[in-house]
Amino acid sequence: MARLNAADIQGFAMRGYTFPVARFVLMEIANGEGGRALLLRILDQVTTAERWDVKPDSTLNLAFTYAGLVRLGLPDAALLSFPVEFVQGMKARAPILEDSGNSAPERWDPVWRDSQVHVWVGIYGESPAVLARRCTILRQFLEETGGARILYEQDASALPDTNGGYGTKEHFGYTDGFGNPDFDGAERKPQPGQGKLTDGGKWVPLATGEFLLGYPDEAGEIPVAPVPHLLAKNGTFMVYRKLHQNVQTFRDYLEANSKIYAGGKEKLASKFIGRWRDGTPVELSPDKEDQAITTDKRRSVNFTFGNDMAGTRCPIGAHIRRTNPRDAFGFNGALVNRRRVTRRGLPYGDFVPEGQPVSDTAEHGIIFIALNASLFRQFEFVQQQWVEYGNDAHQGNDKDMLIGNHGGQGKFMIQGTEDAANPPFICGGLPNFVELRGGAYFFVPSMTALRMMAAGTVDPR
Amino acid sequence: MKRIVSEEVALTNINGKTYAMTAITPMKPWKTPILKIFFFFLALIKPLQARLVGLSFIHFARWVVIKRHAFPRLADSQPEENLSYDYLLFFSNFNGTWNQYIDAFADVLADGLNLVWRWSEKFPMSRPVTAFKRYISLVQFDTDYYYTAYPRATTNDVKAAHRVCAAVEDLGRNCNGMSPAEFSAAYLHFLMKVQKDLGSTGVGPVGT
Amino acid sequence: MANVSGSVYGLTILSPIIDDPNADISHDGAIRQYLANLPNGHTSPFAKVSSTHICRLVVMDDVIYVGTPANEEHLNSKYLVFESNFDGELEPYLARMANEIPEVVESVWGHCVGYPGLRDVSAFVAYMKKCQITTTFYFADVNDHTVQSTLRALKVQASVADFIGKHQGESPAEIQAAFRAFYERVSNMSEQEPGHHDPQGHQSIKLNRSIAAQHG
Repeated sequence: MARLNAADIQGFAMRGYTFPVARFVLMEIANGEGGRALLLRILDQVTTAERWDVKPDSTLNLAFTYAGLVRLGLPDAALLSFPVEFVQGMKARAPILEDSGNSAPERWDPVWRDSQVHVWVGIYGESPAVLARRCTILRQFLEETGGARILYEQDASALPDTNGGYGTKEHFGYTDGFGNPDFDGAERKPQPGQGKLTDGGKWVPLATGEFLLGYPDEAGEIPVAPVPHLLAKNGTFMVYRKLHQNVQTFRDYLEANSKIYAGGKEKLASKFIGRWRDGTPVELSPDKEDQAITTDKRRSVNFTFGNDMAGTRCPIGAHIRRTNPRDAFGFNGALVNRRRVTRRGLPYGDFVPEGQPVSDTAEHGIIFIALNASLFRQFEFVQQQWVEYGNDAHQGNDKDMLIGNHGGQGKFMIQGTEDAANPPFICGGLPNFVELRGGAYFFVPSMTALRMMAAGTVDPR
Repeated sequence: MKRIVSEEVALTNINGKTYAMTAITPMKPWKTPILKIFFFFLALIKPLQARLVGLSFIHFARWVVIKRHAFPRLADSQPEENLSYDYLLFFSNFNGTWNQYIDAFADVLADGLNLVWRWSEKFPMSRPVTAFKRYISLVQFDTDYYYTAYPRATTNDVKAAHRVCAAVEDLGRNCNGMSPAEFSAAYLHFLMKVQKDLGSTGVGPVGT
Repeated sequence: MANVSGSVYGLTILSPIIDDPNADISHDGAIRQYLANLPNGHTSPFAKVSSTHICRLVVMDDVIYVGTPANEEHLNSKYLVFESNFDGELEPYLARMANEIPEVVESVWGHCVGYPGLRDVSAFVAYMKKCQITTTFYFADVNDHTVQSTLRALKVQASVADFIGKHQGESPAEIQAAFRAFYERVSNMSEQEPGHHDPQGHQSIKLNRSIAAQHG
């Protein structure tokens, strides 16, 4: 269990930045020489995982698609050593991810549908003014080197809360940001419930190799990674998905079903995902919201499903139970430990408060960002087998209530009891609450790898 | 006769939600009795099978030991086999992808797998999983034809369906004499009985 | 009995394939080609042998060399492997194959050593039993329901989910009346055809040619 070299790892692979606003700049590299020159120029700007004495007002990180690595001029042997799902790219993997119908690539935003994105520049900051400043510097570098051009700038921002500051809710009204996995060397205060379960019922960190390349993973080996070793070590893979939210459809659906669900509207909303909209985990507090739990880091993610195998507290198909089943499949969670992802997303678009008219076509949703060592084994698996399918949870073909690609059909079963306020209930005729508007798979190199790529000295021997 | 259209994938190992794995491994003949003893106890002592049953993604599976002189010979014109190893044939009909299946076994049944395959030559042990997957790829045969009577149902779906049927029978037989209030209570109990078993069936995820 | 689990029989057959170097197309090649073009799903011939839960056919051309220090050795014949999981007893099943899918039996086992043809069904059954290998360990997750019972249960399960959703929120009297009618229908429900109505039983995916698209 080595101490991680924080200076070599890009910051947000280790920790979330907790800045309220971000701009994701998508670029196309002009040619190998220009691209490497740009990379050399921008290196000093990249934020590492080193701890801050004084928190900066913004951060900057870089990631590359396979096409971007090709354009940068990495040698064939290195390129051929990347995993096949990364080489093919997220668009080509649409059948596996069930990005079809309204989420099909033909319906994506033009930048994702038509262009080839090479580079992702992730800028997080305190305010839009700070983001603008960083972007100005970026544009200067582009001018100087001629290395790339900007295809699109995606703004993202935490939604406003009732006090006029930034909150942690997303457009459907759910509080987000719980449950990022805890791993060896992450050097942040672990919260019970974030790691994996031991036989004794204790929570311990997951193996580093599940989230960073070059380290032992939960299978007890250093997993296959791109060569040379220095290109991959301390790097990771990133999933970027622009998830449009059909806010009007969601609110209408919740309203309509609340009329026949005896537990009431907020309880129904809590059953969809497994947390009340204020963030209280249903497993710990099935009947009411409880901020005492939600604001206590030792409790807010500290629960298991082993005492709720009937699903009468947290429905078996609820969103957080699908995406992180914990011990719900038995074996103390062993089947889940290699299927975790770190999430770093932010909402985008204007927030419309409840009660005010809102349309499905307005630009709002979530920029979903996930980090993992293996796209195939982690993100893709969860998406294909646990979100768009339900056999492991014994729910047949039923999909994730909130983010499943329902296409107007499909259902979600809420398991209930004899308690009149917790009845068995079927949510049928499910529409798409969420639709994919684009995205890609990216490689997040270490600082060493970035320098090698900039100098053109990647050598797989 | 159906022609395979070249754009489609005739994934012959997969039919619906079920995958056919066929594998053959060589064993030194003196090790075969050890394996047979293990299988004898496995069949007898049900708790040993508990983890396998808990995984709940296999419809049918079998191991078949073929001793080196026991390959069927149907005519004198057919040459005799001249083998130094016994062979262990493995057939599995499971739900999920190839990777998912092997990952699950390596994660939770590694010891049991090792007890079966450690007698086969060059078996690398089931953890770490990458070497194990390489070995299986080496010893696996592709299926030429795979048929299932219920391609759109996993074994979980099948078991759930039978439970639902039993619950419907129960309620149906007893509901006639009930008042609406009595029926209401009985129906609620019926819902609670079937509420975990109503997953829909259909086309499974792409086989990757 | 090692071949049996509950009411399900696990049949393993290894039939040596004729080796004729003078044939235009080898016998194992002919079997493979025939099977590659055989329809599947509810149009599969095996659906006619309706006690079959799951079965497979594999042309096993040789044993596998696993690497030094293991010995390299080879089979002197190729074998057609037939693995089947079906309801009931062995001999009636084999007889059903002879009677209900003779064209499949002829096209596959007709290429195998010692195949006696189908004029005498008992000779065919005896031939197949000569090729049978006893299963050493057999696991059947569901071993107490026939194919027909399972197909019917799947149909009922779908109907129940529909029923519950449709009548959610109605009064007890309304649900009771509806359920009575529903139960009547369920009692008279026959099973679906085996193999279901997918032409291929699974979703074909277009072969992924994105690399060619990127570089071509």
